[in-house]
Parts: sequence; C-alpha cells; structure tokens
Amino acid sequence: MSALLMDLRRNRLMMSYLIVGGLILLILVAGGVLSDRFLTWRNVTNVLQQLIVLGLVSLGQTFVVLMGGIDLAIGSLVSAVTVFLANFLDWRPDLVWLAVPLALAAAATVGAVNGILTVVLRVHPLIVTLGMSSVIFGGTLMYRKEPGGSIPRALEDIAYRNVGGIPVSAIVLVVVFAIAGLWLQRTRAGRNIYFVGGDAEAARLNGLAVGRITVMAYALSGLCAGIAGLFLTARTGVGDPRIGAALTLQSITPVVVGGTILAGGRGGVFGTFLGVLLVTMLNSLLNFVGVSSYYQWIIQGVIIIVAVGFHTVRRT
Amino acid sequence: MAPLEATLPKSRKSVSMAAIFERFGLAIFLGVLLVAAALLSPTFLRPANLVNVLTIAAPLGMVVVGQAFVIMVRGLDLSVASLMATVAVLATAFKATSNDAIPVIFIAAIVLSALVGFVNGWLVAKRNVSPFLATLAMMIILQGVRFAYTGGAPISTLPPGMSFLASGRIWGIPVNLMTLAVMAVVLSIVLHRSRLGREIFMVGSNPKAAFLNGIAPDRVTIACYVICSVCAGIGGLFLLGYVGTVSNWVGQGYELDSIVAAVMGGVALSGGRGTILGALLGVAVLVVINNLVLLLGFPIEMQLIIKGIIIVGAAAFYRTRLV
Repeated sequence: MSALLMDLRRNRLMMSYLIVGGLILLILVAGGVLSDRFLTWRNVTNVLQQLIVLGLVSLGQTFVVLMGGIDLAIGSLVSAVTVFLANFLDWRPDLVWLAVPLALAAAATVGAVNGILTVVLRVHPLIVTLGMSSVIFGGTLMYRKEPGGSIPRALEDIAYRNVGGIPVSAIVLVVVFAIAGLWLQRTRAGRNIYFVGGDAEAARLNGLAVGRITVMAYALSGLCAGIAGLFLTARTGVGDPRIGAALTLQSITPVVVGGTILAGGRGGVFGTFLGVLLVTMLNSLLNFVGVSSYYQWIIQGVIIIVAVGFHTVRRT
Repeated sequence: MAPLEATLPKSRKSVSMAAIFERFGLAIFLGVLLVAAALLSPTFLRPANLVNVLTIAAPLGMVVVGQAFVIMVRGLDLSVASLMATVAVLATAFKATSNDAIPVIFIAAIVLSALVGFVNGWLVAKRNVSPFLATLAMMIILQGVRFAYTGGAPISTLPPGMSFLASGRIWGIPVNLMTLAVMAVVLSIVLHRSRLGREIFMVGSNPKAAFLNGIAPDRVTIACYVICSVCAGIGGLFLLGYVGTVSNWVGQGYELDSIVAAVMGGVALSGGRGTILGALLGVAVLVVINNLVLLLGFPIEMQLIIKGIIIVGAAAFYRTRLV
C-alpha cells in the first residue's frame, strides 16, 4: 500500500518534472533560434552564476512548504545578512572567519524563532513570518538606510570564481541540493518533514516531535537565506536593506512550479531545482531577446499558470 | 448530586468566558489599544486625527471585506493591490476632465475587476491551481500589463470629482467611509443572511460535504473571487482619489495588509469562519497601530518593528485556532 502511494506521489511529481523540463528545453531551443549568443559558453556560465541566490532561498522555502508552512521572512532576512556582513567587514575586514559563521548562525536562529513562534503561539505561519519580516526589515533599516559598506576582495571571489570553467557558486548549489535531496529522502529527520507536512495530527499521534521538526524546517530556511545573503553580498560587494525584498515571493515560484504542493507533504528539492533553472533561464532569454521587463512579468505569470494549472491538486 | 451541581455552573461559566474571549478578543484588544493611544498621545483623540485615521482606513476596509470572502472559501487573493493600481491606471485612460466620466470610470473598473476575479476563481475552482499561486500569477500579469500600457510613467488626468469621493465629506462624514459602510452592510447581508452566504460557509468548512448537499462549490468559489476583486477595484478608485496622483504602485502592500487584517479579525485561513464586522475590526487595529506609531514620532524603522510584533501578538492574543 505504501509502495503504491509512493508510486502515485512519484507519478504526480514526474509530471511536474516533465512539464518544467519541457519548458526548459523550449527555452533552450527558442534561445538558440532567436539569438546566436544565448547558447554560448559565456552566457551559460552567466546563467549558472545567477542560480545561487534564487536557488538557495527556494531550497529553504521548499523545506518549510514540505513541512506544511510558508516563510515570508526570507527576503528581509537576506537583506539583513547583506547589511550585517558589509557593515561588519567594513569595520574589520580581517575578521571574515568570524563574520560569516556569525551571520549564518544568526540567520538560522531567526528562522528557528519563526518556527518556535508558530509552534508556541499557534499562529498561522503566514502571520508569524510576515510579522518577523517587518521586524527584521525595520531592524535592518536602523543600521543602514542606503546600500553601502564593503567586503574584502577574498569574499567577493566566491561569487565570481570559476573551476574548470564552471562557477564555484553553481557547484556549491548543486552539492547543497544533492545533500538536501538525500537528507529528505534517506534520513529519518528528512522524512519526518514529509510526515508532518502530510498530516501533522497523524505525525503527532505517531509520537513524532512535531514542534521540533517544525522549528528545524524554519531554521533550515533561515540558514539557506543566510547563505544566499552571503553570496549576494559577495556579488554586489555592498549591504543593501532592500535587495532581498523581491526574493520572498520569488522563492515560492520555483517551489510550486517544481511540483511541491503548498499544503505540504508532497514534492521535493529536485523539482525546485528545475524550477530555479526555468525561472533563471527564462529571465536570461527574455533579456537576450530584448523583451522589456514589463512583458517579462506577463510571461512569467502565464508560465506559472501553465506550469501548475493543469496538474496541481487543490490544497485541502 | 450536590458536587455535580456545584461544579456544573462553574465549568459552564468558564466555557462561556472562553467563548466571549474568542468572540470579542479583538474588540477588547482594540479597546486597550485605543485607551493606550489616548494616554500616550494627546493628538490621537483629536477629531481631525480620528477622521484622518478613518479616511485612511476606508480603502483598506473595502479590500479587506472582499478578501474575507475569498479567505472564507479557503483561498487568499494576492492580486488585490496590483488590481487596485491597474484600476487606477484604467481610470486615467479616459483622459477625462469632467465629472460626467466618473460613472463610466466606475463601470469600467468594476467590469475589469469582475473579469480579473472570474479568472482567479476559474483557475482556483476549475483548474485546481492553489489560490496563492493563481493570484500571485495574476498579480504579476496585471503588473506587466499596467507597466506596458503606461510605459512606466502614468499620466494623471482625473476628473476633479474623484478626490471628493475619496477625501470629501457629507455632513462631516467622509464619503469613502459611508461607501465602506454601505458595502459592509450589503456584503454582511449577503454573507450572513442569503443563500449564497450559507453556501460560502458550507464550501469553506467542507467542500465535499457541500458538494454532496447539492451545492456547486466551484460556482461559490468563483463568486467569492469576483466579489473580492470588485471590492478591491472600488477600493482602488477610492484610494486613487485620496492619493490624488496615479502611480503604478497605488495600493502597494494592501495585499498582505488586507490578509493580515482579515485574519486578525477572526476570518480563519482554514475557511468557513469569520464575519465582515470582525474583518473591519482587524482593519481598525492595523490602522490605529500605524497612526499611533506615527503620532509618537517613532522613526519609520521602529514603525515596522512595532507593527510586526503587534501583528503577531494580536494574532496570538486572539488565537483563532488557525491551522
């Protein structure tokens, strides 16, 4: 029975993978036809370089959505991390070894606080993370209102360095996704996230520490936002209190386009990865073809509907 | 016998206390907030300030009333703010300088809104797209259409009467507040007294049971999305008149504020629970908090922090067993 259920889940996911994969292929073909520079190695590495930030925040969102929640604090948290790093390293550039772990730990802690608040207060995660987002944004603005600060050259390197022609950031992203996927599928802790997302009450009756699993999912999301903030700082070289604002909603698109159900319990990181690829490549293609960003919005909206509008199961 | 009788009234009383608390929790919170506001800032209770607060609250209230309908059937609508701005841009499309054009503007806005709501509802009900995603896509699409039409720089030709609708008064009462009151009363009757209202509650609490009882959940859902969008469209016109100038971002932030207000007001995200009056109380709390932070002269960043804490705190205080 459970094997059958597993199969059904796989099939539904498989359909999302096929749709998204098909769209990616379509973009590749369209790109090749419409522009002779789209399929060059240079643009490929450029696209790969852009994957990391969206990829990481979407991965974090995937954990939370699988567990049955939603994290709307991601964007503010990413901005806060960039401001913290740029301010701290502007003050003491030699303390990179301290600043980076500190930033990541703080980000994970903020995520954990989101989780603790939803568990302890029993308030809907939409409200909790929205409130948290407002608090983080306000706190960040107290330290920096305009983009600024600086980071040492060595840190900038992680965003731009290539190994064998492939950007380090893309390799990091693939490794992180692979670990996340294995963790979710093969370990007890990872599978518990699916269990809680599928039916929190049943999970609780089966003796799972639902509260702890919830907090863990949010902490992972916070950690992912922290790493995303690190790479974003490395790329821009400054801290910007508004740079992450759009990432909150952007982080959700690849998750759901990749077949993860917003109600929780179904989906996975592979779909998210495909979703991130699709969104990033689409943006790149539209830029190449010279489509104004106004029409890019329309096309993105239509793509969301096309990608999910024909197989998503209604959240219950 | 005696011990049972002795315990019974007590337990019954505690249950009813809990019920009262759950039912009027937000009203109590609003009362506390108002007293605190009056004590903390002498400016707060001045008529000018109160009218100002209510005038600002009205367009948000219109959006929240509609949002409540969608949340009631287990949805949410993220496209309301984008629709408000799109309606605002549409209002300028007539390049009207006389007030004769106002009815035309309203009709056009309502038709466009109803269409948007229908598409949202159709996607959610018939295509099984999650409400979050359907309305997110709609938000982005409307944004694209709007910017493509205006080229990023909208013109601001509006009939002079628009600003009267938004910030004018009749017998000292803001016109937009009266409009909100009328909308709230009409929609309260629809929700709590009409057949559609009963069907909304049934679909919201259990779509399958509703279906088995001969209700078409899809039609009810679509109706809710249409109501929501039309409310948002009207809210957009009133906000536009208040702001006075058209920008591509009229109503920005209203999508989340409207959801927060409705949820604080006891409209459960799990569907099937809530009242229009409760949703409006949520609006009052949100607007009073904003105003209070402003009056106390806190910097903008403190506003955000306090607002965030109070939103979570109010939701926890009221705690509507949302899952």
